Amino acid sequence: MLDSSLDSQESFAAVRDAANNPVWKFILWAVLSALAYHTIMGIRHLLMDCGIGESLKGGKSGATIALILAIISIALIGVWVW
Amino acid sequence: MVTSVTSFGRSGLYDWLIQRVGGVVMAAYLIFIVGYLASNPDLTYEQWQTLFGQLWVRVFSFLTLVSFIAHAWIGLWAVLTDYLTVRLMGDKATVLRIIAQTVLGGVAVTYLIWGIEIIWGLK
Repeated sequence: MLDSSLDSQESFAAVRDAANNPVWKFILWAVLSALAYHTIMGIRHLLMDCGIGESLKGGKSGATIALILAIISIALIGVWVW
Repeated sequence: MVTSVTSFGRSGLYDWLIQRVGGVVMAAYLIFIVGYLASNPDLTYEQWQTLFGQLWVRVFSFLTLVSFIAHAWIGLWAVLTDYLTVRLMGDKATVLRIIAQTVLGGVAVTYLIWGIEIIWGLK
């Protein structure tokens, strides 16, 4: 995608117009959602490496917060894609 | 101490650190790209090409690509050494794992060379 988007004016437009295809939209949403989820859980992991939220209680609330943030991000990605 | 020849940094401590530094680099790049796209909703080809024409964007992109490859190698090494084991897969586990890691290495090299060509092949 990056290759085509930077290659020429025509291929840039082709990448942009491909986003009109519903199957393509779904794949894009799925991939970006997985990335968002992985990133948020990764940041949680890094915070826990720093000793934040390492107790049983902190771990549980951290997981809840991360999950809520992930759901919000995935919904926002959906809004952006569609 | 036994060093694993198939891990990325050849030691757990190196892998641990590379995994985290790479993660931070990728998170920063993600914030940068999302911020750029959000502030340019009607992006044109000229704007996009100007962005990737700047040296620092190319370096940042390349750094992210290298981080991605290292991060994927370390992460999948952990998964493969956990699941493609003799206990779970039987006698062929090691052969299977080496094949999987060779494929992974091939993909990594392909991505690296392809990425360099995209980032530095701009006219």
